[in-house]
Amino acid sequence: MSTTRRLDPVLLLALPATLYIAIVYGLPLLFLMGRSLFGTGGLDSFVGFFADPFSWTVLANTLRSAALVTLVCLVIGYPTALVLARAGGFAQAAILVAIILPLSVGVVVKAFAWQIVLRRDGIVSQAMTGLGLWSEPQRLLFTEAGLVIGAANIFVPFMILPIYAVLKLVDPRLGEAAATLGASPIYRFLKVALPLSLPGIVTGVAFVFSMAASMYVIPSLVIGDRFQTLATLTGRSFLFMRNEQLGSTTAVVLLALTVAVVIASASLSRRLGGAQ
Amino acid sequence: MDAFALARPSRRSILAGTAALIAMPSVLRAQTRELVVGGAAGHKPWVEQIVVPAFEKKYNCKVIFEGTRSLVNLEKMQKNKDRQYMSVVQMDDPVMILAVKEGLLDPLTPAKAPNMADLLPGSTHMDGMWANYLQPWLGIAYNKTAVKAPPVSWAELFDATYKGRVIIPSLQNTEGLPILFAAGLLTGASLDAAQKDTDVGFKKLATLKANLLTIYTQQPQAYNLLEQGEAHLIGPAMSSYCLERKAAGAPIDLAAPKEGVFAMPSGIAVIKGAPQPELAFAYVNELLGAELQGKLAGPTFSLATNKAVPKPEGLGADVKIFQIDWANVAAQRNDWIKRWDRDMAI
Repeated sequence: MSTTRRLDPVLLLALPATLYIAIVYGLPLLFLMGRSLFGTGGLDSFVGFFADPFSWTVLANTLRSAALVTLVCLVIGYPTALVLARAGGFAQAAILVAIILPLSVGVVVKAFAWQIVLRRDGIVSQAMTGLGLWSEPQRLLFTEAGLVIGAANIFVPFMILPIYAVLKLVDPRLGEAAATLGASPIYRFLKVALPLSLPGIVTGVAFVFSMAASMYVIPSLVIGDRFQTLATLTGRSFLFMRNEQLGSTTAVVLLALTVAVVIASASLSRRLGGAQ
Repeated sequence: MDAFALARPSRRSILAGTAALIAMPSVLRAQTRELVVGGAAGHKPWVEQIVVPAFEKKYNCKVIFEGTRSLVNLEKMQKNKDRQYMSVVQMDDPVMILAVKEGLLDPLTPAKAPNMADLLPGSTHMDGMWANYLQPWLGIAYNKTAVKAPPVSWAELFDATYKGRVIIPSLQNTEGLPILFAAGLLTGASLDAAQKDTDVGFKKLATLKANLLTIYTQQPQAYNLLEQGEAHLIGPAMSSYCLERKAAGAPIDLAAPKEGVFAMPSGIAVIKGAPQPELAFAYVNELLGAELQGKLAGPTFSLATNKAVPKPEGLGADVKIFQIDWANVAAQRNDWIKRWDRDMAI
């Protein structure tokens, strides 16, 4: 940064995006924060929010479900990204299409589909009872487990793609070199592949976590009114209770949480990237 | 229009034509009187197919129906306060209360709308500011395959045989509010007491949790689950939605509990300072009249508010119909929702 004494004309290319973000996102955000901090309740509304035990339930719901969704996405996404990076030609194209195409199906449609899959007589319940794992049919629909499964399905591409992007750049000969030196496959994965792909993991985790923490449509369809998160509480405060003070308070709390996660993961990514 | 498209128009003819088009509306207005009615988008089919043709013929005028949401109608009235272009508004009672507070409505009187005299008690509100015309009613919807005998009481929602099979609407939805009052009624409270002090209702509702499949905010999702048999009961369920699904062939039906059914709020009012006030009052009067209500009650699966119209099929003649105190609801709803979130959480 210290070397750019004169403004690089190429930076002007960022102007349209900067203006766009500033106008449609930055300004409203400033208004929102202004209202939550200096509105009728001001800081008192934050004090009130954190003094209420129910707020902590809502916070815990938000963080726990987002963390679980992120974990499931990572467990499913990492091996997929590994296969995708190793695959070549047609296979790679096919896997990429399989990952990206479902993104074009609306969230509402997917949430409705999960409603059928997670029912008491749905395919999950039938499979589990058929395998003898469950003694009787059970319903996952409208449970937190159902929410995590459904949301992970929708967000998993955002975990796979960043990890894949990093893995693709890793020289395959590094693994071979480790092998010639006598490293076992597990040792090779833990000491070579995993550390090299960490920046991708960190990016994927930040993506999925911030989206899962702020999801609104999926919980309202898959788990319903009985599981309030910061996002659903914000929506209800603005749209139905017309309580803008509470709505902007919860929105700012949610924003602070996700920004914290993104900043932490970015600095983690930089540190890990630098260590290589 | 066809001639216009066929002939290649010169610039002059376009200018002349445009001028004529601009001048036309005022010419039309001079010839026929025009009445603009604001209402719900969902009402458009029956208003335009049944109400408008009958009214236009009788009063030799033109009716334009603008279908949108209640709060949008309120906003249109606020924005045009000094120069209203809508004359009549059809909105839910909770929004009517807001309109009255803003001074946007012109009260109905028996002199201007004589059919007011034939309405059931409780059908006009706040000194005649608005009246209810047709009211969907709230009972218990059930899946006919899973539930052999139709539910006879609101107490059946709490019956242990329906563990995990009951869906109720969120308090956030207007049709969800009566569950709180029904729960209060079951403890022996009167409707008035159940509405004023909801504490007993909330305590009773807490015992419903084991039976709950979910609490819905999206009505179609709930009916989807009911029709597929995952849910066995939905209560309170709205006649206008449930019976329309039944008529479309869904294996569901709506039962009227013996304690009584609740009436949904649907009001009609004349806007203060409206153009064509006589026509506006005439329109409201027609919708309060037995003739039009008799024609509408069937297709809209709703209760008529005119005494002369018989109760619809499926509702016994002696069934009790509860009218909700919407002003009380407006004052307390946010506090109720707060408690609801805490008490009803998974």
